Amino acid sequence: MSDGQGPLGPREELKIVLAGIGGQGVVFATRLLARTGIGLGLPVMASETHGMSQRGGSVVAHLKLGGTLAPLIRRGTADVLLALDPDEALRNLTYLRRNGAVFANSGQGLRPEVEDPLAEHNIQVHVVSASQIATTLGAAAVANVILIGFAAAHASFRLPLEAIRSILIEVAPHARDLNLRALEAGYREGLASSALVETVEDIVKTDV
Amino acid sequence: MRAALSVELLLGNEAIGLGLVEAGCRVVTAYPGTPSSEILAGVIKYKKEFDRRIHTEWSTNEKVAFEVALAASWTGLRAAVAMKQVGLNVASDPLFSAAYTGVRGGFLVIPADDPGPHSSQTEQDSRLTALNAKVPVFDPSSPEEARHMIRVAFALSERFSIPVMLRPTTRLCHALQSLSLDGRPADEGPPQTRFRKDPPHWTATPKLRYKLHVELSAKLGQVEAAFEASSFNVEIKAAGAPRMGVIASGVAFHTAQQVLQEMGIDLPMLKIGTPFPLPRELVKRFVADLDLILVLEEPDACIELQLSDRTRVRGRLDGSVPPAGELTPEVIYELLATALVKAGLSVNPKPDKWGLQDLVDMMDLPARRPRLCPGCSHRSAFFALKREFGPNAIYPGDIGCYTLGTNLRAVDTFVDMGAAVTMADGLYKAGQVVGDKRPIIATIGDSTFLHSGIVPLINAVHTGSRFVLVVLDNHTTAMTGFQPTAESPFLADGSDAERKISIADLVRACGVTFVESTDPYDQDAYRRVIREAYRHSQSPHGGVSVVIADRPCVLYEPALLLEDPVPVVITQECDGCRYCIEAFECPALVLRADLSRVDIDEKICVDCGQCIDACFKGFILPKLMEREGLAT
Repeated sequence: MSDGQGPLGPREELKIVLAGIGGQGVVFATRLLARTGIGLGLPVMASETHGMSQRGGSVVAHLKLGGTLAPLIRRGTADVLLALDPDEALRNLTYLRRNGAVFANSGQGLRPEVEDPLAEHNIQVHVVSASQIATTLGAAAVANVILIGFAAAHASFRLPLEAIRSILIEVAPHARDLNLRALEAGYREGLASSALVETVEDIVKTDV
Repeated sequence: MRAALSVELLLGNEAIGLGLVEAGCRVVTAYPGTPSSEILAGVIKYKKEFDRRIHTEWSTNEKVAFEVALAASWTGLRAAVAMKQVGLNVASDPLFSAAYTGVRGGFLVIPADDPGPHSSQTEQDSRLTALNAKVPVFDPSSPEEARHMIRVAFALSERFSIPVMLRPTTRLCHALQSLSLDGRPADEGPPQTRFRKDPPHWTATPKLRYKLHVELSAKLGQVEAAFEASSFNVEIKAAGAPRMGVIASGVAFHTAQQVLQEMGIDLPMLKIGTPFPLPRELVKRFVADLDLILVLEEPDACIELQLSDRTRVRGRLDGSVPPAGELTPEVIYELLATALVKAGLSVNPKPDKWGLQDLVDMMDLPARRPRLCPGCSHRSAFFALKREFGPNAIYPGDIGCYTLGTNLRAVDTFVDMGAAVTMADGLYKAGQVVGDKRPIIATIGDSTFLHSGIVPLINAVHTGSRFVLVVLDNHTTAMTGFQPTAESPFLADGSDAERKISIADLVRACGVTFVESTDPYDQDAYRRVIREAYRHSQSPHGGVSVVIADRPCVLYEPALLLEDPVPVVITQECDGCRYCIEAFECPALVLRADLSRVDIDEKICVDCGQCIDACFKGFILPKLMEREGLAT
């Protein structure tokens, strides 16, 4: 789609590549955002990794909201890359289009040698220590939700926090409180690093 | 929001399962295998949700699954069998025969192909198997289309009394698509139908088979005529009447459409949903005004093969399309760009490469090859085998998670399901001819042994082979998502099994005189047993010795570990020699970036304590022991 910003409209398209390592919850994150897309009234097509590649290997999922029925995203055309691991972020960087955005779980940022090429293509790099935050919340497994909350604080992600939140409650009612805390923690981190003017209290005060 | 729209997110395989339930299918059988495994799970989900009476089962193997479903069709019920593509090889005997005999109730064969391949030993094209067997094929392009094709495929199967194939591929099976569900479909209950004796079909002798073959060929002609008008074959016109067009099927159709859209190019396209028998008149009309036709299909050439005039056709047969691998959007982009240039079209497709990939390729990013999970009992079983028999022994292996024993150098061969036993058998016999006395230690999983290991074992025992067979019994079909086996106390839909089958009893019944079951977590005891097993196999009255390495999958039954955790520490003395990393390869053992020592990744460590033996220097210790100052 275009270089659109702000909440995703009903006739727009958003292409997201999700990457991580088996066990980090790429599949859960993909399904959460896919259902968020359905909630926004968009047709959804996604592609998951199954089988042997799940046993500790690299895991990549492609998610298309409002697009064609092709399950895969071509390199150079993704709007967003969500990476639960910094190396997997690098491995999948070239999925991004010019003006795209990468949100990565990393304590240190991506490697310096990619900074120039990314800047040349006006690709925003947003890094958050999601694993570390997850540990402070007492559950390493929620790094995926934290990363999504973090991304949702940025205009380039285009999926509103509130839409994600209501689906999160629905898909994982057993872990509701933990997940909402994770989403909120990620969102706060995201606000701190983005230029959004909304206050976090406005968005997350209800129901948390 | 979701509930009001009644739009659900379905995995491609679930959509196929839903389609089978919606179409009134009454018997569905399968053997698990990626990428097909969730089809039966989908049927079970919706049969419960819609309260339908449908027999579902994980059969012992694909041939069994095929024949159980075929029998149901012969009684007049709609029936289907699902498997991965190589499973169709196992079921090909009844497939070819059933094409001749025909069917009564609609009968669908659903083999899932794996272009890539992602999780298979071959990239074979099941459509070509169908072509060989003379069975019509539907080739869905999306989960939604697969769901709707099923009803049409059943009707076609019944109209022409012929088995019909629905052939999805990995990207469809594991696609997630938003689908509209319109509540519970109407159900009139199963038709009141019974098996009727019909000797000219059900017991056709070779003379009658000739007649049936003639009939089958006639049926195919009629099916082709029906396919000419099928709504699953769609012609898409292009503005400006370009002289180049695309014929595509399956997922490749949507990918090509997306890539063309991204290129901003409009080409005429013919989407083929019924690749065999190919509706040749439709194709002839489509290509009439074109100078160049690009055929995009996976994983091999089925449509292209049926085109009689290929002078203007570019595809796999003339080498334009790569002979192996998936038709990813990147591959299709290159193919379209090349073809557009060849066709002399006034387009200037600009490949959006920007050098970053080269930069990333040059980085030494960790290669994340699949590894056995932390706490996997297969690792313990393999590690002890290597310690006992060393690198000189030959280790035939088999298909399952434990194929990853190759990372530990404890799997030297894998061919297909059950071949661990036959390869061991054959290696022994070949070794006898030339005097090669190396120990042969084969490994096979429980589900794989039940699938295809028993008949080879009978052969090996009867003909006097001498080797050790280790059955890695983790109580489930782990690789594909924990489907029950014949050893399980329950069936596919959770109901009780009539009787649990004992692998030890089966092995004894095959004539094996050494059968011992032992937990590979108890490495000392396990090593004693495999040593004894080898000794027995070489003794005068030996032969094949069988050891059952009995320990449930750590993901399937994690509670067992929680009962008796053995947290470990790596002492300060660790010198980073890498022995544990190479020989034990647990993902929770991590070499420090400066290579100085190994640390435990506490996030993924499951406290199995199995790595204690993996440090021959004694630097990996139980936490308890270290705390009490017992470390030396």
